[in-house]
Amino acid sequence: MDLELICLLAMLGVFLVSNMVIKLPVSLSMMFGAIAGALVGGQGIPLRHLFEGTFTYVDTMLIISTAMLFMTVVQKSGALEALNAAIVTRFYKIPALMLVLLMFVIMFPGMITGSSTAAVLSAGALVAPVLLMIGIPREKAGAIIAIGAIMGMAAPPINIPAMLIGGGVDMPYIGFDGPLFLLTIPCAVFTVLFLGLKYCKNLDIEKLKSQLNTEIGKEYGFKLYLPIIVLIVLLVVSKALPSFPQLGTCLIFLISSFVGLFTGRKFNFLKESADAMETTIPVLAKLMGVGMFIQVLTLVGARGWIVVSCLGLGMVFVYIATFTIMPAFGAVSSYGAASVIGVPFLLVMIQNTSCNDIVVAAVLAFTCCLGDLMPPTALAGNYAAQIVELKYKPVLKNCIIPFLFCIAVAVVCILNTNALSFLTV
Amino acid sequence: MKIPKHIISAVILTLVVIALVVYLGITFSSMRNPEPIYAGEGVTDMKMLSDWFPGLKGTNGDTEVYILDSGVEGASMLVLGGTHPNEPSGVVSAVMLVEYCQPEEGILYVIPRANNSAFTCTDPQEAAPMKYFIETDGGERWFRFGSRATNPTDQWPDSEVYVHASSGQTLSGSETRNLNRAYPGKANGNLTEMIAYGITTLINEENIDITVDLHEASPEYTTVNAIVAHENAIELANMALWDVEDYFSISIEKSPTNLHGLTHRELGDYTDTLALLMETANASQGRLHGAIHSSLVVDGVDKFYARAAQYGAVTVPFGEDGIGITERCARHISCLVAFCDEYLPEDDLYISLGDMPSFDEMVENGIGAYLHSPE
Repeated sequence: MDLELICLLAMLGVFLVSNMVIKLPVSLSMMFGAIAGALVGGQGIPLRHLFEGTFTYVDTMLIISTAMLFMTVVQKSGALEALNAAIVTRFYKIPALMLVLLMFVIMFPGMITGSSTAAVLSAGALVAPVLLMIGIPREKAGAIIAIGAIMGMAAPPINIPAMLIGGGVDMPYIGFDGPLFLLTIPCAVFTVLFLGLKYCKNLDIEKLKSQLNTEIGKEYGFKLYLPIIVLIVLLVVSKALPSFPQLGTCLIFLISSFVGLFTGRKFNFLKESADAMETTIPVLAKLMGVGMFIQVLTLVGARGWIVVSCLGLGMVFVYIATFTIMPAFGAVSSYGAASVIGVPFLLVMIQNTSCNDIVVAAVLAFTCCLGDLMPPTALAGNYAAQIVELKYKPVLKNCIIPFLFCIAVAVVCILNTNALSFLTV
Repeated sequence: MKIPKHIISAVILTLVVIALVVYLGITFSSMRNPEPIYAGEGVTDMKMLSDWFPGLKGTNGDTEVYILDSGVEGASMLVLGGTHPNEPSGVVSAVMLVEYCQPEEGILYVIPRANNSAFTCTDPQEAAPMKYFIETDGGERWFRFGSRATNPTDQWPDSEVYVHASSGQTLSGSETRNLNRAYPGKANGNLTEMIAYGITTLINEENIDITVDLHEASPEYTTVNAIVAHENAIELANMALWDVEDYFSISIEKSPTNLHGLTHRELGDYTDTLALLMETANASQGRLHGAIHSSLVVDGVDKFYARAAQYGAVTVPFGEDGIGITERCARHISCLVAFCDEYLPEDDLYISLGDMPSFDEMVENGIGAYLHSPE
């Protein structure tokens, strides 16, 4: 047995015992798993690597933190209540259309930023109360938001895993829009209708109105929506116009939050933002733990063992691993899955089959994005659950069938890459 | 007065964190100490890149440019090492030129640390060693194994999507700090774009005839053991291939016209130089390697890559003996010599690197034999 496999087993074993038996937080369990792997691998306690690993997600953590501030401002200022009232009163007569439109709203920030977390924490937070109000159970609403955010992350124009995979084989990020739309739109529509439609076929508008705050919109008027409008405009403009200063998602969230302080109901920003950050610190710590884990995984050679073992099992297994191990690797990092597994898998597929490389890369990138549902990290699932005020397990349970549908669509696409090559033009 | 337990534990934890931060701060700061480079007898001058582009002065992007002037009128060549400091054969080959080469005709410019900032950090998740060691006749030399990208303390944050300045091409945001996606550079851009601009300016002002960018790639990469040439330099690459193909196998690839920011594309388009880039196979920067340490960087022996080769998952021959840094440097140096030997100028101004070791001699003696002993 390879020492690298023993290291991997030690890491997973210590992680599981720490988390499930000793009941330590996921973050600390990941750290102890990483230390165990390093000790078994003869690296001692590699402080430098443990520390460096925590920096893997520093950008993601900043986006999460600033998005939490934005979410707090939009909620406390009253913009969220006003938006909910506006959507429900306009679209309640055509629930299927309303649900699909809401799904696209959830997807939008992910499409622009390439981040499911940004989508969940911005649009997801706006749409969640509407979904709950029209009668969709919390766990299903959370699942809709989680899958919607991931579809947004995977949909064009920005798909970071596709860029990472393409970068690994010198493939320009050109021609991906068609395949990515084909993969994401049917999955998004299926998910929202499958999970939500049966609960909102006969909506009682009078009953709904009694739950809606229609007054706040009248009190503050159009300016109440300014933080949301500023967010959308800055996200779109900074991507559509390369000459526009690149503000970055964090700064855009901060600017939009600042605007929201003056457009609606007054509240204690310092207290509310401190409360919001307190709820998000465990997830940030989890990301740091995952960073340590993957760094040690590489240090002791377990990463190489995983990838080479997959490659050694032949083309059929490479296809199977694409739809099992690759999304599962998302438990560590969906971007990591793209870089570590996506690149060698794409190379093997290109070398051994006469496939369309862009369609294959798009499918691999799409599958990597689904990794954001995988526990323990489950970025999309975690925050969607937090928004609907649930633990993430019931939310993830409701994601299973949409997840399998997404995998099925991806399988169909990867088996027909040449037939779909017209989409890459 | 009894101090509450939570205060005591908070104080202890804070002190532990401070101690760790100090220790780790010292560890990471050590990456800012440059490895010694000893100017050999062929070096006639040493300038800084900021001498061509003053915008770099005082930044971590400024870097040494070694000038080896033969004193005989001739052509000029620029060699870039350390565009990606995690590709060590490019760095070591450039250092070997500075310390060993004595041109007999024309002028050789060498930048061993093209992205100086990227030498000062490592990449999270890659777990790479901070240093690697090469044995020389007079003892062990050390070199830093840096990052593929500019240190984030010099340039941060990255945007989600990197938009290449002159073409508008979009790439993953992680490429924002990649020097080999920033050419021809931008005088008022970010630090990486400024470094690229400085190198482009040097090439234009010094009328550099040939520019060679030394790289490495993971053994599973599609472009490896290869020369990538701008269309203007394809003929030179083909001629050089004749000189080296008896010693090792190497392919020639034409620079793609739709992939922007790279030396072999933009320097060929924006300057009059013949732009070439070379890749050797480095197991330590791949995704398939086993445990990573200095010896993997230098010896290149890795059982997982050997296995992957049996599965057909790598693009170069990779056996149990691996691909060591000596062979990788010997490939680079042999091709550089061949480029000079085969350069056919219209003005009859040639370039000669002088008495350089052959591929076989380098493989037999080891690259350390051609490096200065540590002082």
